[in-house]
Amino acid sequence: MTAPAFSRQGLARRAYPLTGLSVAIAVTFLAFLVPAPWGPVSLYVASIILVALAGVGRAIRQALVVCLPLWLFLFVLHGLLGGGPKIDLGLFALSADGANAALAQAGRFGAIITISLGFYRAFDPSRFLNAVAARGWPMHFSYLFVATLHALPAFVQRAATSIEAQRTRGLRFSGGVFGRTRAVVPLALPLILGALAEVDDRAHALEMRAVAKGGKRTPIDPPTDSWPDRAVRWTLWITVVALVVWRFVR
Amino acid sequence: MSSRLLALIPLAVAINVAIGRIVAELSLPVYLDAVGTILVSALAGLGAGVVTGLIGQVLTSFVSGYVWLAFAPIQILIALLAFVAARRGGFKNLGSSIAWGGLLGLLGGALSAVISYLAFKGVTAGGVTFVTTVLVGIGMELPWAITASSIVTDVLDKALAFALVGVALRSLPVRMISRYPLALRAVGR
Repeated sequence: MTAPAFSRQGLARRAYPLTGLSVAIAVTFLAFLVPAPWGPVSLYVASIILVALAGVGRAIRQALVVCLPLWLFLFVLHGLLGGGPKIDLGLFALSADGANAALAQAGRFGAIITISLGFYRAFDPSRFLNAVAARGWPMHFSYLFVATLHALPAFVQRAATSIEAQRTRGLRFSGGVFGRTRAVVPLALPLILGALAEVDDRAHALEMRAVAKGGKRTPIDPPTDSWPDRAVRWTLWITVVALVVWRFVR
Repeated sequence: MSSRLLALIPLAVAINVAIGRIVAELSLPVYLDAVGTILVSALAGLGAGVVTGLIGQVLTSFVSGYVWLAFAPIQILIALLAFVAARRGGFKNLGSSIAWGGLLGLLGGALSAVISYLAFKGVTAGGVTFVTTVLVGIGMELPWAITASSIVTDVLDKALAFALVGVALRSLPVRMISRYPLALRAVGR
């Protein structure tokens, strides 16, 4: 017997859509609330474990690609060029305060970017829209967000087509900054004018579906908000509030 | 929110991203990731521009980390300045577009320097951080280095973005631009 498709998916994709969002937002707050530098570093390690367990492990590698240049700049700007007392490491000397600040910030970047990309990899636009609709929340913002996600690949493809077409017509992409800056107009203008020409067709389609009307919608198959999902969300938010209070009374 | 705005905003955010690709292809030292936001502010007003900017910022944060949400106030500033520029006919020629863009670059660069220093310790996007590192390397204090690098890159970026939006608005056929009264005012018609 074949198992249902969703059971082969990771925990992140089976969870209620707002749980993943809550985890990502809570980690963002926690990264700035936990004591530096080891708090953010521990949170980064926890994020890696969580993302791997949730079945979206590819996000760890993607996050590393985003984080590596940021870590490098932190090391140079604060570790090597930072002021205050220095720690001599033979080949170079590190600023003690700068190294601490860089380590904390590197941990924050790591934790937030890893958890955000984990949520992104597990994101299912239609489940998210259904969850928002089932809760009776305003649809406009979530519609705009999901519609943009759908429009992006087409526009990136159009940009690539525009670049190829103008290259074929002899537009020069090399030379000085001024020459390359002038090339922006013939490349970008067709994209902008094409998008504006498309607005009317899209507006008519939305009008036919009464999207602009607002009001509560009834999804056919809303995702289930189970008690573990609710427990995770409540625990996270209580932790964030407790840490905010602790930071103020400390 | 009207159907037209619901149709326009996702396309404008997609323009922000797609033009970013073009700029990367041309290896230019700017981002041009606010063209869609400026365009919507000049076409449909402040509210639509702010929504476009915020959606774009949320989307950027969604695909590369929520840490970048700290820059959301910049999007509001971009929409506000583009709206004011449109009301004052700031897109009627290349010179005025560049001047308004330069003004936004000054204000936006100063605001982004504050955010960059407080939330990111000066380490944000590659180009700006590289300039900051060089300035610190030659002896400038970190806050001043962040401010200088943010303002220089922002003035260039926003001046070019405003110039591009101005060219786009002035190229629109009368039938299309007349649907957006603010845009008519922006180009001085």
